Amino acid sequence: MPPSLAVFVGGLAGTGLRLALDTALPHADGGFPWSTFIANLVGTFVLGWLAGGLWTRPSTPAWMKAGMGSGLVGSFTTLSAVMGAVAILDREEATALAAVYLGASLVAGLALAAAGLKLGSALAHRPMPTEVTDDGATL
Amino acid sequence: MSALVVAAVLVAGAVGAVIRYLLSKAYPVRPGHLPGGILVVNLVGSGLAGAIIGLAERAAVSDDVRLVLVTGFCGGLTTFSTWCVETIELADGGRWRAAILNVLVTLALGIGAAVGLYLLVRG
Repeated sequence: MPPSLAVFVGGLAGTGLRLALDTALPHADGGFPWSTFIANLVGTFVLGWLAGGLWTRPSTPAWMKAGMGSGLVGSFTTLSAVMGAVAILDREEATALAAVYLGASLVAGLALAAAGLKLGSALAHRPMPTEVTDDGATL
Repeated sequence: MSALVVAAVLVAGAVGAVIRYLLSKAYPVRPGHLPGGILVVNLVGSGLAGAIIGLAERAAVSDDVRLVLVTGFCGGLTTFSTWCVETIELADGGRWRAAILNVLVTLALGIGAAVGLYLLVRG
């Protein structure tokens, strides 16, 4: 399968899952965006796990990395929804909540990325990847 | 939310993901540089989302169009997971300066683009 097609298919699924989570957990304009928060943290842990584990196996095909990484997980998580929510929270004069949301997303995101990478490489019995091989096929 | 709108959101998200994938291949990570492709899509997508949310508040675009473009296209174009994982990989590789810059530049310019364009468009 061409990697771009795998990304498209993965993107359909990832966007659909995010839309479903948004619909299941709606939030008011001045409220904490739980659906985006959860999607971003779950996706970041999963991507770290994949990058530390499955991605380091030479036999993993490029289309699978592209479809699952760039496609499914990449489109499930989003930065634009975070920034859009910050703009709306700022309008609602909930600037403190916007700061908490950004800070919590960043700290938890980095911690879960590190935990995912560590768990993935431990389970695969390989050293943690330190080379960023972002040729698009990796992440 | 009609079935057609849901389908449009999904396709818009998938198109955004393919654009992100192609840009991350065109601008790969190189020593001494930030992950440029991901940085660019995250900033463009954040700015676009701010602008469209502003337009929707002026009733210049419908709620359906906002959903397709913001949740669909911008959501698929931008990514949070790759940003975090690449930052940790940079730090693990000893490239602390690049890791910290990747966080600060994305946050500062992302907030600036989204909030700035939102306020500009809303008027």
